[in-house]
Amino acid sequence: MSMEDYDFLFKIVLIGNAGVGKTCLVRRFTQGLFPPGQGATIGVDFMIKTVEINGEKVKLQIWDTAGQERFRSITQSYYRSANALILTYDITCEESFRCLPEWLREIEQYASNKVITVLVGNKIDLVEKREVSQQRAEEFSMAQDMYYLETSAKESDNVEKLFLDLACRLISEARQNTLVNNVASPLPGEGKNIGYLTCCNFN
Amino acid sequence: RAAAGDGCAGSFTLSMERIRELTDLAELEATYGRLCEKEKEVEGELETLLEQQGTVESKMIALHRMGPNLQLIEGDAKQLAGMITFTCNLAENVSSKVRQLDLAKNRLYQAIQRADDILDLKFCTDGVQTALRNEDYEQAAAHVHRYLCLDKSVIELSRQGKEGSIIDANLKLLQEAEQRLKTIVTEKFDVATKQGDLPQVERFFKIFPLLGLHEEGLSKLSEYLCKQVMVLLGIDREENTTWFLPAGVARIVETHQPIVETYYGLGRLYTLIKYLQVECDRQVEKVVDKFIQQRDYHRQVIKAMVLFVCSACRELDPILTEVALMNARSELYLRFIKRRIISDFEVGDSMASEEVKQEHQKCLDKLLNNCLLSRTMKELIGYYITMEEYFMRETVNKAVAMDTCEKGQLTSSMVDDVFYIVKKCIGRALSSSSIDCLCAMINHSTTELESDFREVLCNKLKMGFPATTFQDFQRGVTSAVNIMHSSLQQGKFDTKGIESTNEAKQSFLVTLNNVEVCSENIMTLKKTLESDCTKLLSQGFGSEQAQAKIDSCLSDLVAVSSKFRDLLQEGLNELTTSAVKPQVKPWINLFLSVSHNVEEEEFNDYEANDPWVQQFILNLEQQMAEFKSGLSPVIYDSLTSLMTSLIAIELEKVVFKSTFSRLGGLQFDKELRSLIAYLTTVTTWTIRDKFARLSQMATILNLERVTEILDYWGPNSGPLTWRLTPAEVRQVLALRIDFRSDDIKRLRL
Repeated sequence: MSMEDYDFLFKIVLIGNAGVGKTCLVRRFTQGLFPPGQGATIGVDFMIKTVEINGEKVKLQIWDTAGQERFRSITQSYYRSANALILTYDITCEESFRCLPEWLREIEQYASNKVITVLVGNKIDLVEKREVSQQRAEEFSMAQDMYYLETSAKESDNVEKLFLDLACRLISEARQNTLVNNVASPLPGEGKNIGYLTCCNFN
Repeated sequence: RAAAGDGCAGSFTLSMERIRELTDLAELEATYGRLCEKEKEVEGELETLLEQQGTVESKMIALHRMGPNLQLIEGDAKQLAGMITFTCNLAENVSSKVRQLDLAKNRLYQAIQRADDILDLKFCTDGVQTALRNEDYEQAAAHVHRYLCLDKSVIELSRQGKEGSIIDANLKLLQEAEQRLKTIVTEKFDVATKQGDLPQVERFFKIFPLLGLHEEGLSKLSEYLCKQVMVLLGIDREENTTWFLPAGVARIVETHQPIVETYYGLGRLYTLIKYLQVECDRQVEKVVDKFIQQRDYHRQVIKAMVLFVCSACRELDPILTEVALMNARSELYLRFIKRRIISDFEVGDSMASEEVKQEHQKCLDKLLNNCLLSRTMKELIGYYITMEEYFMRETVNKAVAMDTCEKGQLTSSMVDDVFYIVKKCIGRALSSSSIDCLCAMINHSTTELESDFREVLCNKLKMGFPATTFQDFQRGVTSAVNIMHSSLQQGKFDTKGIESTNEAKQSFLVTLNNVEVCSENIMTLKKTLESDCTKLLSQGFGSEQAQAKIDSCLSDLVAVSSKFRDLLQEGLNELTTSAVKPQVKPWINLFLSVSHNVEEEEFNDYEANDPWVQQFILNLEQQMAEFKSGLSPVIYDSLTSLMTSLIAIELEKVVFKSTFSRLGGLQFDKELRSLIAYLTTVTTWTIRDKFARLSQMATILNLERVTEILDYWGPNSGPLTWRLTPAEVRQVLALRIDFRSDDIKRLRL
């Protein structure tokens, strides 16, 4: 890994109930495929995709976590270093929506307070089986101050948009951080935030 | 020439008109000449044509003579055609006869085959009976196998023949025998299984495929092998702590793989293991349940989860080691099974279609991921991570609480302890052979070091470095008053004041050293882990992404190292501003009380009794001695560098506040040289650069006349790079009381 490889590096972690389509979203975005009959993820999967945004190379490290309860202690360990979390539920599954507050508690407990969280309602291709209305999800996300998007990994709807918009927001956030750090010299003990750019200096 | 010939007729007719028009003699003559030439040419051509007449005529005669011969040929050709047609018909006739013959021959062969089959059937029927009577089951199975290999349609056809009834009877007998044989073999196998009679088991195991019962055979064998597993477990029970069931199963598979391959063919191992795994899972469940019971695993987990006071840590330690070991064993087993089945499928499926191969791959993945062993271990590892994290946090807290620093040691005990703990926990996670578990523990360690432990060091630094000497005196008085006040109230006198200041100083310096060592230890930890992981991956554990996952987690860990380095820098800045600066500044300010507007006599006096710089150096030496003994060489070096910069800046300020005579300038030059010489001995950094401006100021203050500056300025500066601006140069010149301001103003710089 050399500095020249990219201008920004971000860690994105996908979370949410089992079977809501996290792996399919990641596969669709990173490989452009929709694997039918995708088995349950074991532990965590790891993918990298480099995208170009306004001429800048952005490397996205995407951690696709298992939704099943028994892997929770593994997946939780990834929250803290995440720059962004994609909290996914299935619009055809009321249960996966009802679990969202529980997931938010996990985020509260384990993730950094600077993390950006996006709520994603997946499987909009199965519109006839919809159980969670868009309005309801929008209201929920608004109340929790989250960005909300509905996607279909199968039809490739909004998948690119999800990741690229997120990358854009992460870039502007990172810019702001470095700006703030340059202005105010940190007090002893508060520690200055290590810019995203410097993460790769030690490889 | 041809063109000339072509145009002959045309030119001729044209020339008639043109000839008439011709009036010039020369032209007429020329035309005439040309016409004569043409005439000669035409005559020559006519002659050659006439010469050919004879040959043409003789050829015509010859042709006339050939006429009757042609008629003869036509007749012969017709005759030939007739004969060919006849031959052709004849040939077709013959070949159709041959075809009929061939068909007849084939039917004959079939008839012979059928007769053979019927004979075989009869032979088999008889043979089976005899073999069964003699308990020669191999022979009986061979007969049944022969029967099963017979063409079923042929048998069906035979039954419709005249001797159908006999064949029917034979068939019935055979089928009965087959059934009987199946029952007998199954029974005998069961008995052998019960008695643990391996030769008999193997004997009947070989018979199953002959009866077309591959699946049953494998299922039966695995039943027997499961018994073996139980036997193994029986031994295991006595040893209690050992967990070698998967290893035992692996050994069983290894022992019986050849017999399966030989008698059942390749690609069957999966089926055997599938059956075996069911039993293995059943036993695993028992073992795990017992483990959980014995070790009170769930309660420990709950304890860890609700953050009980860590009296459990000592109990937790061996349990965690055991779980990691259990997982390592199970991973080893699953990897063994996977490798065996894959290579078995590879050979067995070498001719199979892509779909079959994928189907087999899917079955294998399902077996490996969904078997109870795998699921149970995942669950145990899940708890393990929670507990390991808890164990790490609690023991780190304990190490922090028990922190001591022995005299003469630069760092305190907790740094070594904390890194020992972190290394131990990650090492244990690594020993489980689970990459996800390892990564999770690296992540948790990163969090622990970056937040919790860094916070501890941070808080210690925040308490600051208590100031001494002048300020200390002031503070000492007030605090002494306070102490006395409070002591009086409590009725006793406390002498701890000075002592605690010293302790606080010591603590600050030790913390700085600690921070530096942390930053280094993290890099060492990363390197060690990297090589350990390479070893693990080279043994074939983990998926293809394993390396990338580990790298990513390790790079997060490494980033913490630089956070510690930042913290060190902050601590040093704090030390400089709160301890070094308040002391150094008054010492430098003393410069102002030493007049540099001096004449010969005072200058000589200064020579004998140094007014400022020697004492300043002495003070610095005393002050830095404290830091030198208390800080690691690297940090001490950084500190002296910061101090040197500080001195340069402060000294410049006081110089600008002073006035100088010619000899005063010389005095300053001497003082500056002594100072630089001293500072050079205490730092490894080059300090010339930091004192460049001051050295140049000394040069200016030493000038004889104002204009002498021009010998050093601009094109005359030579190797010297001026750090002072022209305005500053004038300002410095103005410090010399003997320089006239008009002269300075007049300078062109």
